[in-house]
Amino acid sequence: MTGTASYRAGVKPVWCPGCGNFGLLSALTGHVLPGLGIDKHQVFIVSGIGCSSRIPGYIDTYGFNSIHGRAITIAQGAKMASPGLTVVAIGGDGDFFSIGAGHLPHAVRRNIDITCIMLNNFVYALTKGHTSPTTPVLEPGAGTFLSREDYPPVDPMLDMISYSVSTQSSFIAQGLVTDVPHLDWLIEEGIKHKGFSFINVLTPCVTFNPPELFKTIKERASYLRDGEPVELPESSGEQPWLHDPADIGLALRLAQTPVLEKPHLGIFFCSHGEG
Amino acid sequence: MGPHGSNVELSAVAGPNGMERQPWKKIRETLEGRVRENLTVGMVGAGGDGVVVLGVFLQKLAAGQGYFGQMSRFYGAQIRGGGSAVKLGMNAVALSLPQDSVDILVCFDGEKYLEFGHELLIADDTLVLYDGEPPPGIDLPEASIRFDFTGKSREAVGAAQSKNIVALGLLRAILGLDRDRVREAIERDEELGLVKGGLPAYDAGERLFSGTRFPDLGLSPARDGSAKVILHGNSAMARAAIRAGCRAFFGYPITPASEIMQEMQEELSHGKAVFLQAEDEISSVALALGASLTGAKTMTATSGPGLDLMTESLVLASAAEIPMVIIDVQRGGPSTGIPSKLEQSDLNHAIYGGHGDAPRVVVAPYDVEGCYRLVIEGFNIAQYYQVPVILLSDQWLGQTFVAIKNDFLKQEYPLLERKKPAAEDGGDYKRYLFTEDSISPMADVGDEGFVHQITGLAHNEKGAPAFDFDTHQRMHEKRWRKLLPLCERDDLVRVFGNESAGRGIITWGSSAQIVLETLKDLGLLGKVKVCVPELIHPLPKGVEGFVKSIEQLLVVEMNYSGQFYRYLRSQLDLPKDTGVYARAGGRPFSRGELAAVLKEAAG
Repeated sequence: MTGTASYRAGVKPVWCPGCGNFGLLSALTGHVLPGLGIDKHQVFIVSGIGCSSRIPGYIDTYGFNSIHGRAITIAQGAKMASPGLTVVAIGGDGDFFSIGAGHLPHAVRRNIDITCIMLNNFVYALTKGHTSPTTPVLEPGAGTFLSREDYPPVDPMLDMISYSVSTQSSFIAQGLVTDVPHLDWLIEEGIKHKGFSFINVLTPCVTFNPPELFKTIKERASYLRDGEPVELPESSGEQPWLHDPADIGLALRLAQTPVLEKPHLGIFFCSHGEG
Repeated sequence: MGPHGSNVELSAVAGPNGMERQPWKKIRETLEGRVRENLTVGMVGAGGDGVVVLGVFLQKLAAGQGYFGQMSRFYGAQIRGGGSAVKLGMNAVALSLPQDSVDILVCFDGEKYLEFGHELLIADDTLVLYDGEPPPGIDLPEASIRFDFTGKSREAVGAAQSKNIVALGLLRAILGLDRDRVREAIERDEELGLVKGGLPAYDAGERLFSGTRFPDLGLSPARDGSAKVILHGNSAMARAAIRAGCRAFFGYPITPASEIMQEMQEELSHGKAVFLQAEDEISSVALALGASLTGAKTMTATSGPGLDLMTESLVLASAAEIPMVIIDVQRGGPSTGIPSKLEQSDLNHAIYGGHGDAPRVVVAPYDVEGCYRLVIEGFNIAQYYQVPVILLSDQWLGQTFVAIKNDFLKQEYPLLERKKPAAEDGGDYKRYLFTEDSISPMADVGDEGFVHQITGLAHNEKGAPAFDFDTHQRMHEKRWRKLLPLCERDDLVRVFGNESAGRGIITWGSSAQIVLETLKDLGLLGKVKVCVPELIHPLPKGVEGFVKSIEQLLVVEMNYSGQFYRYLRSQLDLPKDTGVYARAGGRPFSRGELAAVLKEAAG
């Protein structure tokens, strides 16, 4: 029960076979927590409500599968009262960008040292396919996006990276749940970062996303590397610049890129440089 | 000539009709021989007139000489420039409520008086001291004098702002508070710095009096001259939380509860303590919940609209058995209602609010001492039973300044802690272990050897999600049954009056004070008995015993629908002859209002 032997709890996940959430589970229990060597009892994982929020039950640390939208507040309270804990808040796009969105800018400005991981699968999957604030809007006639084909999304999506950059979170990163080694690194850096870390993890929902969505994301994805030119989509009129995660101005420019046109993977911004 | 000499300085002397007349002879006739044990002073003005400051100073000076006191505050709707009023009752012998009508009224603004006419009733023998125009449309009593407090302030300190200090000097003299001791207090007490700084104004006020024999409207010397401590319910609750070991507070500003947050901020903004003003009440209660899980004693404080927002986490705390204290300083509802006035209409919400069967504990103090004692009790119950505890206060209880003996602050109070798992429980630790008393040992998040899951989902003993009927049923039983010992807490049921009386009154919260005092004034406490449950939910057996011992019952409370009466009906067989006196809040009960109904109840 103690130490760092195995972080994987003996509970079988309720997720669909092939669910992207397995990628995060694997990253946390297989690499990040063992790699950082934090004792199990010193880790507190707080989640909200949704498919991804079942994750604390599958990890053998302290965990709280709480209520919709409030993981980030409960996590802050725990960290404030017990600063020695490593506190990670995990939830979906509904948790962090819909019902709990009001809490996010305040967590950012307080900059309490917790790591917030949003498993963004662009859909409310637990309730069976309703639109979320991150569900892309389709052009008329562009075909169906969700299984609820009679009711495609009508409002523009909320760009999670743009949002977190605009509130100037002190650590902002985006990863792909299928690239676990890269995700490991992002989460490790997020946990090590002394301050509020926001990591948006692009995740496929194998049941309610059309397969093209994640396929497209993977195809268009581009990794951010320090000192190397950033890739911009064709629609961008800008000249590429050299990536510097210490520069919030560059992060703001990067955040102008629509996530589905050019998903950037890596650390957008870190207030004290990377790591 | 009396002891005070002659020739009072009056800038203007006018009767109610503005006619010049000889005031002193008349006043002497009306007021002579009125040195007494208790006096009620009303003060009213526009924002900036310094009415509340005047009341606070006067109460402080009196408390320093041993007088008990209660001072209610009344505010208009505006943030600045609206009217404000205070009503200060001082008593030389015991703590009592202010009288319905005031003995002395200081009025800086006649128009503003009209906003508070019901709170500051003028009687035929009230001494009215007014600046500027008198309250329009009101027949002033004989003893009404216009004083140019503003002019005196200008003369003394070159500005009008010290008119309240001028009035303070005058009131000191009228009431006969010991002059030297007052001087000494002004010299010594930093909180009276405004008086020290405006001493010429204070002296001018005293001189207004000293010229002649002013009518004897003084206070008899305090029976116990030891200084009384002044605090309001909100302050008592904050202090008690600290005393109980609260080291994490999360709140959001809301009238009339903000003072609790402010005091907690002062107390907890250093060292390892945690204070945070959150972005809303949804967050403040959730932050508290997170802090509680790591072992910290935590609290939040709000009023009705905030309690609405806290309800989801309240229910979560009930389901996941997380200790938590929530104070609700009730105000007029529903919705935004009347933020600055009292009402007792959150009872239903406190007992039943939220979805699902979510047991919680509801406690309601009825006086300042209770605010202190019951917050400590609330923490004990929350920790011991691993349950959310709601304390129902109200605007009147929360914001009325009370000058009182400080013994309850110094008394010893036992403090209870959570039941912790033994070291050998590690390895196969069950957070929600079924036990004989239904209370499971609770490890703090961070404790080595007791890693576990917490969830708002239906769960098993390990804390893992479990949706089978048997487990669900048993967990409900556990959460409800663990609270049953509280039904034996008859020490949290206060009974007054004649024990053998067949007629009873049940009331709760701040309404109990005025009910008890009116009965006492009317000499009815020998004919009736009064039950004031401080523990509301679960309902102690003592209340059932009380109800069984009487043939006739009256329930008194301040909400439109009779929430407590309905709650009692749902729990107990009430006497066939049961009446309820319930009305909307917004205005405190007065003795005059309750006299008839209490007389009838007492038979």
